[in-house]
Amino acid sequence: MSNTVTTREEMNLITAINSGLRQEMARDPAVIMYGYDIGPIGGVFRVTEGLYDEFGPQRVIDTPLSENGVLGTAVGMAVRGLRPVVEMQFMGFFYNSFGQFVCSVANMYERTGGLCAVPMTIRMTFGGGIKPLLFHSESTETFLAHTPAVRVVCPSSPYQAKGMMAASIRSDDPVVFLEHTKQYRARREPVPTEEYLLSLDKAEIIKPGKDVTVIAWGGMVEQAQLALKNVDADVELIDLRSLAPLDVETILTSVKKTGRCVVVHEARRTLGPGAEISALVHENLLEWLLAPVQRVTAFDVNFPDNQTEDFYLPDAQRIQYGIEKVMNYRY
Amino acid sequence: MGQTKWSEPKVSEDFIRILEPSGVAKGEVPNVAPEELLKWYRSIVRTRAYEDMTIRMQRRGELSVTAQSRGEEAIGVGAMAALQAGDLVYPSYRQFSGHLYWNAPLARAMAGLFGAAPETIVAHLPIDEVDLPKVQFMPYGVILASQVTHAVGSAMADQLQGSTAVTMTFTGEGSTSEGDFHDALNFAGVFKAPCVIIVVNNGWSISVPASRQTGSATFAEKASAYGLPGARVDGNDVLAVYQTVSEAVARARSGEGSTLVECVTYRVVDHNTSDSSEVYRDDEQAAYWRTLDPLDRFTAYLEGQGILTDETKQQEADEAKAFVEAAAELARSVPRSTPETMFEHHLQGEPSWAERVQRAELQAELEGRNPFLADHQPGEGS
Ligand SMILES: Cc1ncc(C[n+]2csc(CCOP(=O)(O)OP(=O)(O)O)c2C)c(N)n1
Repeated sequence: MSNTVTTREEMNLITAINSGLRQEMARDPAVIMYGYDIGPIGGVFRVTEGLYDEFGPQRVIDTPLSENGVLGTAVGMAVRGLRPVVEMQFMGFFYNSFGQFVCSVANMYERTGGLCAVPMTIRMTFGGGIKPLLFHSESTETFLAHTPAVRVVCPSSPYQAKGMMAASIRSDDPVVFLEHTKQYRARREPVPTEEYLLSLDKAEIIKPGKDVTVIAWGGMVEQAQLALKNVDADVELIDLRSLAPLDVETILTSVKKTGRCVVVHEARRTLGPGAEISALVHENLLEWLLAPVQRVTAFDVNFPDNQTEDFYLPDAQRIQYGIEKVMNYRY
Repeated sequence: MGQTKWSEPKVSEDFIRILEPSGVAKGEVPNVAPEELLKWYRSIVRTRAYEDMTIRMQRRGELSVTAQSRGEEAIGVGAMAALQAGDLVYPSYRQFSGHLYWNAPLARAMAGLFGAAPETIVAHLPIDEVDLPKVQFMPYGVILASQVTHAVGSAMADQLQGSTAVTMTFTGEGSTSEGDFHDALNFAGVFKAPCVIIVVNNGWSISVPASRQTGSATFAEKASAYGLPGARVDGNDVLAVYQTVSEAVARARSGEGSTLVECVTYRVVDHNTSDSSEVYRDDEQAAYWRTLDPLDRFTAYLEGQGILTDETKQQEADEAKAFVEAAAELARSVPRSTPETMFEHHLQGEPSWAERVQRAELQAELEGRNPFLADHQPGEGS
């Protein structure tokens, strides 16, 4: 970043991502927006608003309604020099393109011995809390992060989102960019109007602390912040930001210091990302641990109906319970 | 807000039509008893009353999101009136007139819109055998076009088991771009599945116009690539829909296989309550299609035939109002789903260790206890 005075504007997650997309489209003619309901409507959440007017139908391409068609053709585009930014309207619809994701997006680079990179950004809304219809609240990051050779990032704040969007688009790797629907308009903060890049593989320590490490991402960061206020412990809060690759160094350094770890996710528990983080901590830091790693998660059920979803999703209260558990643990 | 909107050409009206927009019938009219025609009319009137009510409820915050079929109601009822008891339907979310034609329990649908879990709805709105609709309705396909593959498989199962049931499925034209749609047609062609596949071409897939879904001139002609007959019909003409679909049903029942029927209509309203169509389209086409309204047209026809009078119209309207209000009241009587219902109907048999532990955690939370404090033993948790 230059050291000239930065101008900032109040942005929410939507306008920050939009700002990042616009900036990258202006900077690099190879960048295109690709998916359905992204053109004149500007996305059902308005993330691509105004881009069609500014860059025209050759760069903001409304496609037929096929996730598999979108992702498959985007692979071909990426191979031929474009940098498609694919929009998946909801994570639940992305499943329709899962074969392309695992067998092509994630595989082409290696299969061609490094000759064909697949530089694309797959934007995807995810997460619950807005009480929509079935399959509009998915949080199955595991399916993504379990796939080798793709990056999976998840900014939780407008500032992170803009800088990480720019970095995702410039990355020569395929990047899945997770956008939490409930966070879209949850808060605003000053975001630089100029361009800046944020790392795609570094976790961020949101608040340092010495008693317990709490790890969260996406919508759970906000809930964790709320929980901190109610616990009698000095919490170190880590916003993971990247689910693949994991910033294991930051995690282990923190837990080595605190001796306690709580992983929070909206994803279901069994084989959720918390399982991996917990295993890593136990494998590497067993003798430093003052308590077993506690997972604070949703339950192992299909995302429930509107009337019961609040009892499914982890919230500040459940996180507080998790922190209290590890704080009071005695061997 | 964006400035550029789609400008769409007029949709081709080269299709099968019996009722002119004025309500005058041209050519041969299917032989349907006046009572039956009145039942169709009633299904449409009630659908409109129901959907207008759910839109108001959404605005009041009683439910989170809902869609309408306004202007497309002739398709659900016209098509499903061609079915008989024992048949099956795999719908999309815009065929409510067909559900009502077959007396599908409205209060259950509404309770679902309120966000109740299916378990709660079934438990609190039990339905006597006699009240069950005589055709079986599957839930609509949230994952677009998935229901079309299911319908073809369902039809194949009936065929393999010697049943003469016919399966009918509906999908929007946007959803024909999904691979599932093509898989369904391909299997239907190869296996001669007794299925009727109806594409409701209402011109829009949220903000994307039909012209962006296919390079073909029509959706009906896609059938030929899969070895199926295809027909294109005026979807706002309930008689033409009924006539065309009846032929397709007869074909399926006699073992000749599937037919693709494109019903041409127009989405004259927003996609659903979360949508604002003025962002991406002008109202010009919608305004034109409002003049082709299926209910106005059918009403004029029935009046011309002396089947409907001002008096019976008023009576039907009053009854529709009472009908949907009674359903709403019943739906509101369904208690909120209890949190534990989320665990139900996953795996059959004894609950696993994880399920027992997690159920116990939820229970602890509900009682204001720390769910993580229990020291779970291998056999424990329940
Ligand atoms: C696989 C999948 N992708 C996307 C969606 C989101 N979505 C719901 S309805 C809709 C438009 C469908 O258009 P169309 O098939 O023409 O039916 P219509 O709504 O016009 O009746 C979209 C994109 C979905 N439900 N499932």
